[in-house]
Amino acid sequence: MAMAIPRPRGVSRKWVYLIAGVVLLGVLMLFVEDWHQLWKISSTPDNVPIVAMIPLVVFFTWLGVKQMKENDRLIDQLEADPQAAKTSHRKTAPWRPGWARELHVWPYLVRVEFLAAVIVTLILFVWSITLNAPLEEPANPNLTMNPSKAPWYFLGLQEMLVYFDPWIAGVVMPSLLLVGLMVFPYVDSNPLGNGYYTWKQRKFAVGMFMWGWFMWIILIIIGTFIRGPGWIWFWPGQTWDHNAVVYDRNIDLHEYLGISGMMGKMIFGGIVVGTFYLLGGLFFHWLMTRNAFEKKILARTSILQYLTFQFFAITVLLALPAKLILRLSPLHIKYVWVTPWFNI
Amino acid sequence: MAETPDKLVKREPEAPAPDPVVSRSTSSVLLICVLLLMASLGWALYDEVYGQRPWKGMQREFVTRYNRYLKRMQRQKRAAEEAGTEKEIKQRPEYQELDAEAREARAAVDPQLREIDHQVAFIDRQLAAITGDYQDKRGRITVANYRVETAGEKAKDSLRKDVAELRDKPVTVNTPVAPDSVKTKKERLNYAQLEERFLSLKDQKARLLVQKGELLKEPDALAKKRDAYMKANIVGVSGDQLDKLIEANKKFDYTIRQINVNGDQIVDRCETCHLGVREKNLELTPAAFMPLRKKPDRNARAFVSHPTKELLAIHNPDKFGCSSCHWGNGRATTTVEKGHGENAFWMHPMFKKENAEAGCQQCHQQDRVLDFAPVLTKGKDLFQERGCVGCHRYEGFDRETDALSGARQTIKQLEDQLAANDREAHQVTAQAGRDDTPEEKAQALLAKATALRVTNSQLEARIEQLNTQTQYLMQDQKKVGPNLKDVRLKLRRDWIPVWLKDPQEFRPGTKMPTFWYLKPEHDMVKAADKQRADHERKAISACLWQNSFEGQVPVQQSGNAGHGEELFKTVGCMACHSVGEGDQRIGGHFAANLTRVGEKENYDYTVRWIHNPRERWAPYCPKEKRDLTRADYEKNSKPFLFDTHGNSKCPNDGAELQVQNMTVMPNFRLSEQDARDIASWLFSLTQRQGYPEASYMDSDQKMAQEGFTLIKQYGCAGCHEIKGFEDEQRIGKELTTEGATPIERLDFALLTHDAEKGIDPFTGKKMPQGGNREDWYDRKGFFEHKIEEPGIYDKGKEKDWRDHLRMPKPYIDKGREGDDRTELDAITTFLLGSVGAEGANVPASFFYQATDRRRDMQDGWWVVKKYNCMGCHTVQVGQASTLSTLDFYKTPEGKEQLPPALTTEGARVDPNWLLRFLTDPSLSGITEQQLNAAGGAMLRDLARRSGANSGAGQAQPAPAPTQQPQAQPRQSPQAQGGAQQSPDTSQQAQQNDKPRAGGEQLKPQPGANRNGVRTYLKVRMPTFSFSPNELRTLVRFFMAVSSQAEPYIKPQAQPLSDQERNLARALFTSQQAPCLKCHLTGNAGHDLSASAPNFLQSSERLKPGWTFRWLLDPQKIIPGTAMPSELFKKDGERWVFNGDIPGSGLGDYKGDHADLRRPPRRPPARTTRRRRRARASRRG
Repeated sequence: MAMAIPRPRGVSRKWVYLIAGVVLLGVLMLFVEDWHQLWKISSTPDNVPIVAMIPLVVFFTWLGVKQMKENDRLIDQLEADPQAAKTSHRKTAPWRPGWARELHVWPYLVRVEFLAAVIVTLILFVWSITLNAPLEEPANPNLTMNPSKAPWYFLGLQEMLVYFDPWIAGVVMPSLLLVGLMVFPYVDSNPLGNGYYTWKQRKFAVGMFMWGWFMWIILIIIGTFIRGPGWIWFWPGQTWDHNAVVYDRNIDLHEYLGISGMMGKMIFGGIVVGTFYLLGGLFFHWLMTRNAFEKKILARTSILQYLTFQFFAITVLLALPAKLILRLSPLHIKYVWVTPWFNI
Repeated sequence: MAETPDKLVKREPEAPAPDPVVSRSTSSVLLICVLLLMASLGWALYDEVYGQRPWKGMQREFVTRYNRYLKRMQRQKRAAEEAGTEKEIKQRPEYQELDAEAREARAAVDPQLREIDHQVAFIDRQLAAITGDYQDKRGRITVANYRVETAGEKAKDSLRKDVAELRDKPVTVNTPVAPDSVKTKKERLNYAQLEERFLSLKDQKARLLVQKGELLKEPDALAKKRDAYMKANIVGVSGDQLDKLIEANKKFDYTIRQINVNGDQIVDRCETCHLGVREKNLELTPAAFMPLRKKPDRNARAFVSHPTKELLAIHNPDKFGCSSCHWGNGRATTTVEKGHGENAFWMHPMFKKENAEAGCQQCHQQDRVLDFAPVLTKGKDLFQERGCVGCHRYEGFDRETDALSGARQTIKQLEDQLAANDREAHQVTAQAGRDDTPEEKAQALLAKATALRVTNSQLEARIEQLNTQTQYLMQDQKKVGPNLKDVRLKLRRDWIPVWLKDPQEFRPGTKMPTFWYLKPEHDMVKAADKQRADHERKAISACLWQNSFEGQVPVQQSGNAGHGEELFKTVGCMACHSVGEGDQRIGGHFAANLTRVGEKENYDYTVRWIHNPRERWAPYCPKEKRDLTRADYEKNSKPFLFDTHGNSKCPNDGAELQVQNMTVMPNFRLSEQDARDIASWLFSLTQRQGYPEASYMDSDQKMAQEGFTLIKQYGCAGCHEIKGFEDEQRIGKELTTEGATPIERLDFALLTHDAEKGIDPFTGKKMPQGGNREDWYDRKGFFEHKIEEPGIYDKGKEKDWRDHLRMPKPYIDKGREGDDRTELDAITTFLLGSVGAEGANVPASFFYQATDRRRDMQDGWWVVKKYNCMGCHTVQVGQASTLSTLDFYKTPEGKEQLPPALTTEGARVDPNWLLRFLTDPSLSGITEQQLNAAGGAMLRDLARRSGANSGAGQAQPAPAPTQQPQAQPRQSPQAQGGAQQSPDTSQQAQQNDKPRAGGEQLKPQPGANRNGVRTYLKVRMPTFSFSPNELRTLVRFFMAVSSQAEPYIKPQAQPLSDQERNLARALFTSQQAPCLKCHLTGNAGHDLSASAPNFLQSSERLKPGWTFRWLLDPQKIIPGTAMPSELFKKDGERWVFNGDIPGSGLGDYKGDHADLRRPPRRPPARTTRRRRRARASRRG
């Protein structure tokens, strides 16, 4: 957007972004119908960390990207100047020739960590004084609260329940998620980009991680701000009406095709899911082979590493958004593969 | 920092910029952060000490304001003292005397006391000298013994030696020698000696202290007497008390005040801020704590003493806490909102002031009338009187209906069991008789069969009991509204749709609620539904009309309206009914306003109703589920006779019948002429007017069918008896635990957000609410709005017409200004308190479980309230009956005409007599047999007449009475519903043939046309035809209220000697004791002017003890009674007549004069008499 609009002289790009952001926020505010509701959601002690999380995520992403860019620039510079690369061990910006190659932990690291500790303590002090624990009434087995929400860090899982069978969303997916994170180091065959932020040397890995990361954040935000009473979709700023009624239905994909009979359903679902995995694999393969550098990395990758990655990537990174779209689309698809043992 | 590479290259030769990581100082950032951290630490400390403890400020404020108040009191006190109150009392001879006595007594024992103190001081010194060593020694020996106990067998002996050594080794002690010298002597004592010395000294000291106590007994008692005299003669608190309070304030302990009831999980810190709440001697009002020159603020209201100290006396806060009754969060001390539990998620938010009594209901659900809880009691009154109970079940209300269905169900089960047992017994016997059954087994089987038969006989007894209960329960079961099977007999046809449209319009304040969905003009009825509303109303009318009894009640001549008015106003109708509209309305609110009764009713029916409202047109058989007809009786060759005196069984199947109208209105036993007079007067109050023609009601059967469905849907049968709906269940939600409904389950619907924001749905404006909250998103808000306008939560909803809310709008009296919240608060309070055991904030062990006498009282109140006994009588001390509030009864002659107060009825009357009186208040002596005979005679009479007139069935319209300008709508024979109605029509025809004179068609009254006891009263004690259940409950109630023992065994009195009898007669008839001036004697001439009960009944009616007390001081028993006081005066141990009757020899009589009232002809029982006399003298 900033590219399209001719920039007046003397106005930096930063300002353009800032103004654009403020204007966008202003436009969004016009859509808010019920400020009271918005305030009630945001000010709940439970939700305060989530509200804080949004700018923090933006800020740290920005910070990471910024450092990434600087590091990439340094990498470029050092690649262009083999002499400098030889004399320098620092791979993180800023670095200039003449600066010490290594620094002592004490005091240079410890003092910054101490500062961070002081700031965190300060924040915790203020937080604990101003916000009380979000206690509610004693649990009543005869009365479920509405909406009944998991703690914020589980909201992503809870939101997944909308799209998957409880068995899949509650057990399989979280396990795959955790195992997938653990598997990261073992499927990584890229020797570069360790210990510093870089985009240039780790385009694919960073891209995949950001994809998963934002997906998770978005699920949490949906769970917090968008899911109201009855787990109904309310846009932020809409009133959470306990009597709200929405149209929804549950249709399995095979019903659209008029397939009945358990065998038919199972075979059909298997074919659909198999095709999905095939197409997903092709998609990721295409992503992995988009430039020479990535191809080089792929060449270093063993077949086991490759398949492991493909499995986790398709199952977690691709299937979740795919199912989300199918569920929320006007098709209202509940399951694509129905079997007596599990449903997907 | 982002340098371009070429720049970097250029600068290279120059001195490079220093590395920021190394060169940049972080000290300033660190300094700022650390300062901020310190500041936040300070904040945390402040929060800990003050921020989280706002009560500290409250307590300081309390001390300041309380001191100011106490000082003000003290100044006033001093001013008063100077004027001479306290001082003056001190100078009175009585006080001086008491004071002198106290001082003297004290002085008399003073030397002895001093001697004792002296001795005690010496003992204390001796004790002090040895105690340390003794305890030290004892400790060592204990330890050594423990070692022995735990040591191995081998070591034990040597350790035991150590113990012995310890015991024997003496210690040196310095014991004082003499009381007054400081000299001591050294003594060496071993453990045994030490112990003996120690114990003997302790013993000596104890004896001396007892002696001291004995000596002080008398002086202390006298001083107490003196202080009591002072207290009794001084108004308010004494100066000493004030001084003490001020002194206590100086030492005020700024800390959390907590009630902790360990076993019951009550932890209440309310008194941390509500510091004055338990003040016993002072009445602390907000005015007492006013901030200087300002209005009373929130603090001033918080510091007050409890407004009802008596309640705190009954419910000791140390045991009950505060939040048990008031709700709120007893533990929270951080904010007022939290302390009062008004924050989200607290399950028991504090009741608002106006609903405070809701807390009582938690434990006192069983109490129909509760002392100190007038609002709650009023709420219960309304719940019953406004007919809420017709649709909503509530435990305890309308208990007969519940008990009845329970009993019927049990009977059914028992009968099934009976049949099963029978069958089994048969089978078992058959099996025993078979040849292949071994002898032993056969015996066992036969024994089993016998056991089964015995069980069955027990079951039969049980069923019989239950059947009796059924009969009683049916007799006591009442409906809120009139019997709608009678509409055709009773009402003008065209009036019914008019009434249904809005009963409040025709008769403001009537208990029939407005069925707003039958009223097209109502706001909540959408334009599209208006026609439907009209149609439904008509359909219901048609159904009622077509499902009603056919026939003609005995035709009546018009009566004397003047006499009717007098009767209406004096006989007691006004205790329940009112006449006059708007400001002119006078009379009770318990029953209908009768001003416009003439506009809607059939005169003949009204006369019949006034004559005996319980007289039913036809009995209803719950087994056959239909109304019986004459044919049913004739078929079984029984007379067509049904009443509660033994004719309550179905001729077809023997089931108990409903033989009465299910109304609480009693029978005044008026003559037919009197009934005609009253009806005539009522009919003269307003002019009849025409209503829109409603002929569809006669014939449109389709409409009637629609109406039938609607009646079912709208639950009309909850309050009314309607043909086909006798077994209809209540259609509303049970409200027994309504107050505990979680807020999420109360459907505010589209008003949720208005409620949360505190917007009044009626005005659309912000509404004021008490407390710290402005919204009405709570139970209170929900109930209040729902009661004010039941359909409110349907507002704005797009609903199908059939789904609209069914609850009609009850009449809630809002006073003349329209802002009187009394009734709304009362019913809301009742609902808020209805939380059941689960929702209560009180441990279940605190629930009030009345037993014995208290239980009798509890049960009795339900009956007392059911029949509105309090309309005529004062039942509770301090309660004003409805009659006593009428203008006439405030005049002196009116006061004499008031029905008797019943506060001490149980102590006064013999329970057996009371039972008889309640059965027949006219005491006419008419027995059931006589009544039956009378009924039979009437029946024979009727049969004879019908025989004479058979064939003359043509109905000739009767000339209407003068008050009845419109002719009665007649029913065409084709439209008549069932076959069972034809006998009634034939009867109607016969009656129409009769000349209009006389009232012999109406059944005879179950008693004489007079009062039984106070025949001089114009107010009539009516016949309620209580079942034995209710009779028992009532008699027990009266006995319990007066703390009478049960069962009552009449004390036997010794008969008077001849001399005593003569004396008594002389006393009785003397001028000085004008007994016969007022009391009835049975002499007709005299009784005309008499105004007190008949002596002839007293021996059966009254209890001797009460009569004795009554003679001595009647004012104490019934304040304001006309019975003169001070007839007797105290002379030593006995009471003597306060006056002299010359020549009677009374002066020489040594017995008790007041005790001469004993009835003659009683077997002697000297001891009883002696004891009673002794008691009387003690009482004096």
